[in-house]
Amino acid sequence: MTDQTYALEINDLTVAYQNKPVLWDIDLHVPSGVLMAIVGPNGAGKSTLIKAALGLIPRASGDVRFFGKPLRQARRLIGYVPQRGSVDWDFPTTVQDVVMMGLYGRLGWLRRPGKAEREAAFHALDQVGMANFAGRQISQLSGGQQQRVFLARALVQAADLYFMDEPFAAVDAVTERAIVSLLHTLREQGKTVIVVHHDLQTVTEYFDWVTLLNVEVIGSGATALTFTEENVRRTYGGRIGALPPALNGSTPQREGVYVA
Amino acid sequence: MLPEMRQMLPEDRRVWRFIGVVALLVALGIPLSVALGVQYDYTLTNVALGGALLGVLCGMTGTFAMLRGQSLLGDALSHAALPGVALAFLLVGREPFALLVGAAATGWLGAQLVGTLTNTTRLKQDAAMGIVLASFFAIGVALLSYIQGRADASQAGLDKFIFGQAAAIVQRDVLMLAAACVLVGATLFAFWKEFKLLTFDPDFARANGYPTRRLNLILSSLIVAVIVLGLQLAGVILMVGLLIAPAAAARQWTRRLEQMIVLAVILGAFAGGSGAVLSAVERGLPTGPMMIVVACSLVLVALLFAPERGVLWQLWQRRTAHQLTKEG
Amino acid sequence: MHGIERLLIEFLLNFATAEQINIFFGDPRNTALLIGALVAFATALCGVFLVLRKMAMTADAISHTVLFGIVAAFLAMLWLGQEPSLSSPLLLLGAAAAGVGTVLLTELIQRSNLVKGDTALGLAFPFLFALAVILVTRYIPNVHLDADSVMVGEIGVAWANTNSHCLANCEPVTITADDPRATVARTCVNCAAEGISPRSPRAAFEETCGNCGTFSAAEAWQRRLISAPPQLVFVPRALLPLGSVSLLNLLFVLFFYKELKLATFDAGLAAAFGFKPALLSYALMILVSLTAVAAFDAVGSILVVAFFIIPAAAAYLLTDRLWLMFVIAPLLGIFAAFTGYEVARTWDISISAAMVIMLFACFSLIWVLSPRYGLLAGLVRRWRQHRQFAEQLLLGHLYNHQRTAEADAECARETLHQHLNWSPRKTAHYLARLQAGRLVQLEAAQVRLTLRGEAVVQAFRTELLAH
Repeated sequence: MTDQTYALEINDLTVAYQNKPVLWDIDLHVPSGVLMAIVGPNGAGKSTLIKAALGLIPRASGDVRFFGKPLRQARRLIGYVPQRGSVDWDFPTTVQDVVMMGLYGRLGWLRRPGKAEREAAFHALDQVGMANFAGRQISQLSGGQQQRVFLARALVQAADLYFMDEPFAAVDAVTERAIVSLLHTLREQGKTVIVVHHDLQTVTEYFDWVTLLNVEVIGSGATALTFTEENVRRTYGGRIGALPPALNGSTPQREGVYVA
Repeated sequence: MLPEMRQMLPEDRRVWRFIGVVALLVALGIPLSVALGVQYDYTLTNVALGGALLGVLCGMTGTFAMLRGQSLLGDALSHAALPGVALAFLLVGREPFALLVGAAATGWLGAQLVGTLTNTTRLKQDAAMGIVLASFFAIGVALLSYIQGRADASQAGLDKFIFGQAAAIVQRDVLMLAAACVLVGATLFAFWKEFKLLTFDPDFARANGYPTRRLNLILSSLIVAVIVLGLQLAGVILMVGLLIAPAAAARQWTRRLEQMIVLAVILGAFAGGSGAVLSAVERGLPTGPMMIVVACSLVLVALLFAPERGVLWQLWQRRTAHQLTKEG
Repeated sequence: MHGIERLLIEFLLNFATAEQINIFFGDPRNTALLIGALVAFATALCGVFLVLRKMAMTADAISHTVLFGIVAAFLAMLWLGQEPSLSSPLLLLGAAAAGVGTVLLTELIQRSNLVKGDTALGLAFPFLFALAVILVTRYIPNVHLDADSVMVGEIGVAWANTNSHCLANCEPVTITADDPRATVARTCVNCAAEGISPRSPRAAFEETCGNCGTFSAAEAWQRRLISAPPQLVFVPRALLPLGSVSLLNLLFVLFFYKELKLATFDAGLAAAFGFKPALLSYALMILVSLTAVAAFDAVGSILVVAFFIIPAAAAYLLTDRLWLMFVIAPLLGIFAAFTGYEVARTWDISISAAMVIMLFACFSLIWVLSPRYGLLAGLVRRWRQHRQFAEQLLLGHLYNHQRTAEADAECARETLHQHLNWSPRKTAHYLARLQAGRLVQLEAAQVRLTLRGEAVVQAFRTELLAH
């Protein structure tokens, strides 16, 4: 089943922290050109899946391929947006500088970013509505703005496959809209985007592909077919507070609480 | 297409201008001190040059040590270097280079042990550092007391190592420090963007395929080397202060890593050089502690007065905001 | 201070004669061991909280900055025209203030949000220490505060540094001219003026008292003015301060045990109960400072850090119970002090350093051998888990694929290792183990789960998904 058309192909991936499995024999085939959400309860291994795929944490077993190639040959095809909280935002640097970091890999050793890189960074910032902030010190940004800077940094990588770790976590409405429109732009360009997502309400609206994950893959496929009440219940076990109205036949319960 | 991007941002230009003025003032310090009657004889020239070069080294590496959250690791490291000095002395004798290698070896070992302890036990990093620094220091003291063949490690050796012996600097030491400056500077220049990325976002660096482990090793080796070189001037206890104070002061005035490291180098050179000169002017002022006091005073000034960050700025902002809410 | 020491001696005299006490403290070994034990006890009590509250490096900082407090107090005494002495309570006060000052200064720098936590500490304590060193070298050049005693201490000579107390025949003796013990001296009153010899008949004499005046009992005995010597008891100077902080720390832990416990593990809850965790924290810092000062004479400032941290850290690797940590840590410290002394005597090395090396040796042993948190236990556990995990992985793989379309490819015996990304040898090894346990069976070239195997996987999966 090794098919070149899969943007991401994971076979039998298992990841363990101190030999306790966090991901268990994952098989995942993501076709190219989809916007995919990874959903699942806390501790289900959503971020771990991304990090293991990118080789940031060791895997106990399994094989990951990007467009049919192993990670080493596919790095230039991959863009990564880590969780916003993973870095020190008081680092002495400017927004434009952070975005240019996305180009370092392409520049190679010893070469310094120049005019072309600055312009690429500015262009990417423009795409996420942050062009006016290019010279801003990063410590002066709001959470949503930080998130958009990270997105811009991934954009300049000009990748074909993007991994985004919780980009919608605790962002303002402007940022959320900006991310969504960016996602659609990326899809129009034929890119594949894989997003760790925690808001079940918006899955059907934002994504056309979904993977339900809880240590194992519960289901993966087109949102319309896969994101069913049955699958969501299986993913969250008993820990579901209120299902999105689209899935829940009965009247919507308390709002805002999706996962207990 | 994007004219404003072609040139430097006005804020950046302002900071660079400020750095230039500071550099000029520091350079003016030399003729000024001569005018005030400081005699740069052979000894003082060596000590002042040595101090300034050490300050430069500290500015360069301290910037990264601080931003990587490893400020206190420098403390553990400098204590852990003591047994290396003693061991090298036992094995090779009073050979300066061997002493440095020994110091670097056990210092590096100590840093590794801190990491191992934190990774394999439930102890946190602070306890691991405390254990390593005290134990290694004790081993060093025991070795020194063994060498001296007496129960209490005597005045002869330990004093100088703990408080530094800046006055004993000779031209050869100055040359060694200068060579280290060139080497450290060249390494940082060559891997500048990699070190920057590694310090800011190590995960992203790894996802981009950088050999982060090797880069980390290079960066920590630079820090170890600077600490070991600095021990004979500043001493075990004060070394950590000299390592991070220039960086901590520089951080307040700037908004970019490039500016920060340049300013840290200038401030470090000033602290090292003026500490040496001050201690020469007034008899009985020890050189190492004077360097620290100057460096920490620079931090104090920066914390208070730096625009956009400093305490006074924060207070002023709060007052303006307060008045605005009152009026509104 | 003197009065308390006196009371202590009188208490001791109930059990031993003055002679015996003097012999006991006159032995360097006894004194060193006693002082070492007191240091170990007092520091371990603070150390447990320091380690649990992640303040080990704060203790390191404080043990350096107390020097600043001592020097400042010393200078203040000079300035006030007092006779500066190293045993004055003012020094203790200065040291405690410096300890709390370090913590306050660090918190102040941290609160400005301009530098991060450990940087603030790394700036505050070298600064205060550098100031102290400058003050010492500049203003107090001839005093017993050189680097070696500051860093390493002088536990080996503690026996010789004593306070004396007089028990009997202590009255000062006053000799007047009419006292039978008075000696008479004749001096010529006009010899010098007239330039004549005292033998000259013209010389005039005056009789004066040669030894009139007041003498302390010891002086009187020396001059043979009294027939029996005064009865003196000598106690090492370090004893009382160390004894006091030991007692103080013990009382603090006993009285505030549950408050400290709560404040350490859940500061928020403690505050909600009205325990004022900040206040407790400062009290702890004061005790740390006082302990550091008292211990610093004996073992020096860096090695006192070892006594603070290492026994408590070792105890933390042995037990989860707080009270047990308070038992283990002091015992460990005392053990290390005793054995360290012998090591130092044998190899002729610094005593306090040897004590710390013994502490480190004990810690390393515990680190490796601790039944619950030790390296060996961890290795064994990990190896066992690793094996179990590999078996579960293999079983899970079979379970996931055996009824699917690609089962033939995924579960074939020859290619199974490729799917798992294992070596063929490892795969064969675990297959053999599972076959022996009757969890899998071979059907033609296919590996299949047995019914028992399926049950195992299902049980395991339920547990896994339930977290």
